[in-house]
Amino acid sequence: MVSIKASYTKMQEFLGKELSLDELEDLLMFAKTEIDDYVKEEDMLVLDIKTSNRPDLWCAEGMIREIKGILEMEKGIPTYEVKESGFTVKVDSALASTRPYIACAIAKKINLDDFYIKQLMQHSEKIDNSYGRKRKRSSIGMYNLSMLQSPVLYQTAERSHKFIPLGYEKEMTLDKILNEHEKGLEFGQIVKDYGIYPILLSADGMTLSLPPVINSNDVGRITEDTTECLIEVTGTNFETVNVVLNILCQTMADHGADIYSVAIEYPPEIHKKHVITPLLELESITVDLDIIEKYLDVELTVKKAIELMQKRRFECEELENNKVKAIIPPYRKDILHWVDIAEEIVIALDYNKIGPTKWTVLTTGGLLPETESENIVRDILVGAYGIELVTNILTDPDNLTVKVNLDKQELVKIQNPVSQTYSALRNQIFPNLINVISKNTHEPYPQMIFEVGEVVKMDKNDVWTQTNAAFCIADADASFEDAHKRIHQLMKLLNTDYKIESLGHPSFTKGRSGKIIVNSKDCGIIGEIHPNVLEKNQIWVSVVCFEIELPYIPTLECKIKHTS
Amino acid sequence: MSNLEKKISLPSEAIEIYKEICLRKKISVKELEKMIKLDRGKLEYFLGYLISNELVERITVVQKKPILTEAGQYAALNQLIERRIVDLLKEKKSTDFDSLSEKIKGDNREMNAGVGFLKKQGILQINQGEISLIDPKVSVSNDLQKILENLSSGKEIEIKDHEKTLVQRNLISLEERKESFVEMKIAYGDISEKIVVSSEISRLSPEMIRNGSWKKAKLREYNLNVSPPDFYAGRKQPYARFLDDVKRKLVSYGFLEMRGPIVELEYWNFDALFQAQDHPAREWSDVYRVANPSKGNLPKEDHVKLVQKAHENGYDTGSKGWRYKWDPMKSARLVLRAQGTSVSARTLVDLPIPSKYFSISRCFRPDPTDATHLSEFNQAEGIVCDPSITFRDLLGILETFAVEISEAPNYLFKPDYYPFTEPSVELSVKDPKIGHIEYGGAGIFRPEVTRPFGIKDPVIAWGLGVDRLFMVKYGITDIRELYSYKLDWLRSARMS
Repeated sequence: MVSIKASYTKMQEFLGKELSLDELEDLLMFAKTEIDDYVKEEDMLVLDIKTSNRPDLWCAEGMIREIKGILEMEKGIPTYEVKESGFTVKVDSALASTRPYIACAIAKKINLDDFYIKQLMQHSEKIDNSYGRKRKRSSIGMYNLSMLQSPVLYQTAERSHKFIPLGYEKEMTLDKILNEHEKGLEFGQIVKDYGIYPILLSADGMTLSLPPVINSNDVGRITEDTTECLIEVTGTNFETVNVVLNILCQTMADHGADIYSVAIEYPPEIHKKHVITPLLELESITVDLDIIEKYLDVELTVKKAIELMQKRRFECEELENNKVKAIIPPYRKDILHWVDIAEEIVIALDYNKIGPTKWTVLTTGGLLPETESENIVRDILVGAYGIELVTNILTDPDNLTVKVNLDKQELVKIQNPVSQTYSALRNQIFPNLINVISKNTHEPYPQMIFEVGEVVKMDKNDVWTQTNAAFCIADADASFEDAHKRIHQLMKLLNTDYKIESLGHPSFTKGRSGKIIVNSKDCGIIGEIHPNVLEKNQIWVSVVCFEIELPYIPTLECKIKHTS
Repeated sequence: MSNLEKKISLPSEAIEIYKEICLRKKISVKELEKMIKLDRGKLEYFLGYLISNELVERITVVQKKPILTEAGQYAALNQLIERRIVDLLKEKKSTDFDSLSEKIKGDNREMNAGVGFLKKQGILQINQGEISLIDPKVSVSNDLQKILENLSSGKEIEIKDHEKTLVQRNLISLEERKESFVEMKIAYGDISEKIVVSSEISRLSPEMIRNGSWKKAKLREYNLNVSPPDFYAGRKQPYARFLDDVKRKLVSYGFLEMRGPIVELEYWNFDALFQAQDHPAREWSDVYRVANPSKGNLPKEDHVKLVQKAHENGYDTGSKGWRYKWDPMKSARLVLRAQGTSVSARTLVDLPIPSKYFSISRCFRPDPTDATHLSEFNQAEGIVCDPSITFRDLLGILETFAVEISEAPNYLFKPDYYPFTEPSVELSVKDPKIGHIEYGGAGIFRPEVTRPFGIKDPVIAWGLGVDRLFMVKYGITDIRELYSYKLDWLRSARMS
């Protein structure tokens, strides 16, 4: 999901129509967008756009483009005139294995005010971040055209090359920018991984930018006085840089700017031929209306299909045998298959107008034997006065170790935790129950709690998920017997023979704890919690508990779920 | 005959308790319990006599007690964030944000709050990313720190003026404590003449039933208006019980249950679902990766090669595919299941047709925890496969869920986006209080998802936001309560 800010008034202006918030929300639905918030004093809408594959929608102009189609104020592919600028960009072959592609255009008569600059920057940032994969796949730059000379050179530079980066007053070397400038710190790793320094230079040698990191402070600064600019997109994928440029050109043209093309001169190592960008060749896809009718369960004539596609800003041509050729607007590269066209058609039809069927697919339902088994255990433990808990599976490794007197544990840990509190997967449940008891010392005793839930375990070869059941009793008078009589009754009801063997477990008091053994396999622990554990958790009453691994109870059907 | 002249008949134990209360005028029930050495149930029983005869009165006092949160505990031990920042800046003169964050070792949000606070107080300045103190000799007030340290060492202290700030900064939470007291209304000495020890029998013994002596005995009448002692029945967790209900309903619609592992191969979580290997949802910020082991083994079956083809060139679906070189090593990385759809993906292997499946599974995402987000939540997911199934049937399935499971008649279908389905739909339900709520979603699996598993028929994938459903149904506003550690709530939450 992408979130943007837009002006409510401006959106209505673009559309040329007054809309209440409810009306606007109903229409935005067709652009897969929802109004998250409206701040009346600032005239500001916060919009959530649900598609990650339609960067053309991540600005007010893009949404209005869709809405105009739905309202039939405009239909088919939007067009604008592209004049030749005579401007050239020369790409150096040294970039071939790193960031070889560039697409450029020139926009004139752009009417920049502070608000529009912010909107443009917002759109660029969203594209760079998400569609451009944090600038790794593509990044956008804009420059004041009046300070530039053709040809612009896209080549590599020495690390000692210097220019003044945006927001600074002094020259910095490329190395210094990567290691010290805030954008260098944010995006510099991309360039470091290249091992070379991509640079954009004006014909007179002036630096435009260090893509994809930072523009220069003079030519790379767009202000309210800028009326003509060079737009540039560099990246690792030819299609991506071109579609991003197409999106920006379309958006600026919608805003009244004149768009001029730029010639890109590629060396043969990078691209077979020179390219004039924006590259507005239209792609198409042939679809069979019979198949789409069946897929959607709607009736379509060719005429109707063409109308619907035009509402979605496509063009459409009739072919033989109830087929049509859908021509894709140049700012979209999300059409991979005819199912994508099926979606365009059904969105134009409106999901709520075609409505649901009374569907029937006759099958027999059922819970998994695992769930049935867990439910048996839960029922018995509720009958044993247990209050059921559902606690976190992702937890603080301290809770699973030091807090219960354990040191080394085979814990599955997270590489990228948000905080220590959620950085390891529980391998047993009773430590969580101790934690719950420690957080409820003000509640009346006895406290009897249990959880039947998943834990994650590992050995040298594998990681797996299984279900355990743990029960804890906290009370001034709680003793081993309270846990013992419950596990005994549980095992009796489960028709399972078991043994308890004395065990020296650091979480429990010696001589008052043991392991539970079924069919000569260890499958659980029982005992009085060690006073040292109680002290650490600031629990001032005795606690007894047991935990069993349900997969090892032969009368239950709790299978282990292996990861691979 | 006036009330005062009436004799008051009390069991001898009640008289003893009465005397104890009169000695102290007012005493908490807890203390009384310790003193009298009776269990709470019996004590309450005898207190009932004293209260109903208006000899003593019960008073309940509610006190708010500050409890340190985890952040508060941390700050008590390691100093508050603003103090740590100032200490560091005094040492280092100036620094940029990142190295500050590295030194402080707090999370970024906390850091931001600390820096923001100091900036507001005019203590520090930020110039071109460099943070420094305005006056290097400045000191930050010690008040909050002292309170936290006192609380941490278990001291009871007054925090009145600072209470609001501490709560807002999530350093403390206020726990309500109820305590019962009994207070003397009439002194024992003033009324002792009227009190008689009752000769009635309080308990019917097995012997009395056997030997018939119960016929002559008079069983003492109980005061039925006293409240009984606390009693906590064993019970299922309210949210778990709700999920049991959802499962029951789905089973009644003919859905079979499925399950998968919590630690999942990226293959099942993403690749099999046609999510490109550079898709943003696969980034560090969006999915938890496992540190040890960081990789698993890809399945040995043929579908892996076909999934690869689907990504690279669309396989035999007619799709363009993603047109990149698919990397099996990325696919073998281990993550925490980020979407329940991974369970559906596993079920696509040898999928019977027709079939309907569901799973309710714990999913994990690296979101900071707040009232609407958890790093761990439940997703109800499933698939429906049948040669005849269409997009309008999918709307029908969502309608069934809206009406039968969400019990929400006012629903709307909205276009949505999932990387693995096309078309995709959101089920939006209008709640009279909250407005539009996203209750679930669905779509038809893209052929790039199903064809590698040899499936030719359409497969509908659906999901329901069960966490949200439960919250709306039970009027819960903080999602953290679903996995609550509060015994009070777990013991007393209403069943419906």
